Amino acid sequence: MSKSIRQRIAEELTGPALPFVAFCIALNLTVGQVTAALKIPLYLDSIGTILVAVLVGPWSAVFCGSAANLLAAAFGNPTMMFFIPVVAVIGTFTGIIAKLGWFRKWYLVCLGGILQGILAALVSAPISAYLFGGVMMAGTDFLVLYFRSVGNTLMDSVLYQGLASDPADKLVSYFIVFLLVKNLPQRLLARLHGAGNIRTPGRTP
Amino acid sequence: MTFRIDLSAKFAFVVLLWVCAFTLPWEYQAALCLLVLAGRFAVPSFRPQSERSSAAFSNFLLYSMAVAFFVILLNSILIRGGSTYGTILGFMLHQEGLFFGLKTASRLLLLTYSILVFFISTPLKELIRFLQQKGLSPSFTLILLLTLHFLDHLPARIHQIFLAQQARGAPVDAGIASRSKALLSLLSPLVLSSIVESIDRGTALELRGFLNRPNDANRVAASTAGWNLLTMLLLLISTIILLAAIYRWLLG
Repeated sequence: MSKSIRQRIAEELTGPALPFVAFCIALNLTVGQVTAALKIPLYLDSIGTILVAVLVGPWSAVFCGSAANLLAAAFGNPTMMFFIPVVAVIGTFTGIIAKLGWFRKWYLVCLGGILQGILAALVSAPISAYLFGGVMMAGTDFLVLYFRSVGNTLMDSVLYQGLASDPADKLVSYFIVFLLVKNLPQRLLARLHGAGNIRTPGRTP
Repeated sequence: MTFRIDLSAKFAFVVLLWVCAFTLPWEYQAALCLLVLAGRFAVPSFRPQSERSSAAFSNFLLYSMAVAFFVILLNSILIRGGSTYGTILGFMLHQEGLFFGLKTASRLLLLTYSILVFFISTPLKELIRFLQQKGLSPSFTLILLLTLHFLDHLPARIHQIFLAQQARGAPVDAGIASRSKALLSLLSPLVLSSIVESIDRGTALELRGFLNRPNDANRVAASTAGWNLLTMLLLLISTIILLAAIYRWLLG
């Protein structure tokens, strides 16, 4: 009999994974502080979700992303709540490719990041277009307005805006997570579920 | 005596506002936005629960007003169609863009105000307790509470690491490529220290038997008394508005 989502999450969330997921939810919400301090023009707000997907599992990553968006809504950014389907896709896709071993090779990580960006743009475009008319209270709104003013439909404009910004953001997020997990001591990684996702089979630490 | 609305009714109220945001014309949505704002001051259950949430609400209110103004203005300038309504700084305002801007802005404001008023008037710990009563597992509750702990401590830790890396000569003010490298030197110690902390906390939880207890033994019994009259009334109104909208849509 197939397991419920709740059972699958409970299976992944054991021992140190519980506080680690909590940290990653908080990281999603505070990483903006780091990018702002370094004046980097990227969101990187799914770094925590990607970390959980790689080191814990896809179901926990979906939970991590959803909880982060709910808390972002609670802390004054209410539009984030409607983008839970996008973080669910990010968590699931990253979890699947991590299980397939894509986080062992840098070029697969880059490919995964670009694919993830395209996928995120495709999923977020209808939400942004139909719920908010393309207005997300962010700087990228000007890009949507520009695409509209040159004659594109609302849906196309939002999609082009997403395709212009998301792949770069996700590519950088993926690569940062790849470098982070590569540099983590193996004895620490061994305590988390997804350690096998980054270790080449047969190679001992 | 003050009448307090419980959390189920507040949830139902948010649902009703969401239904209105997707079904009613923009004029009604704008009126509902004003009502929600009035409710934040007039209804005790919708008042902010702390100075911090009150400040967050005021900041978001100003920010959202500015966004709404620019949405309407930019759309009416950039989306051409229909008659014109005059000029601002030499730019013509077009009817089609103006109405699209009004529709978008009123929907956006109603959706965001409904969520915001819910969250500023509901302390997160009360929300978590409510969700636990409705069947949220202790593990999820623990994660949410730990997240609040991390949210309190992370900004200070990030600042500390930033200063330390800056003192070591990390290129935090150089070109974009160097700053991106510095990002990694900031995040590495942050993630590493958090994994170490996670292992410590996970071990402490294991030692206290938190992770091995029976599934439902300690779970708070689900409350069935949450479905009060107000909640049912609000949900009924939402359903009627939704059905009316579907009926109108089917008739074309």
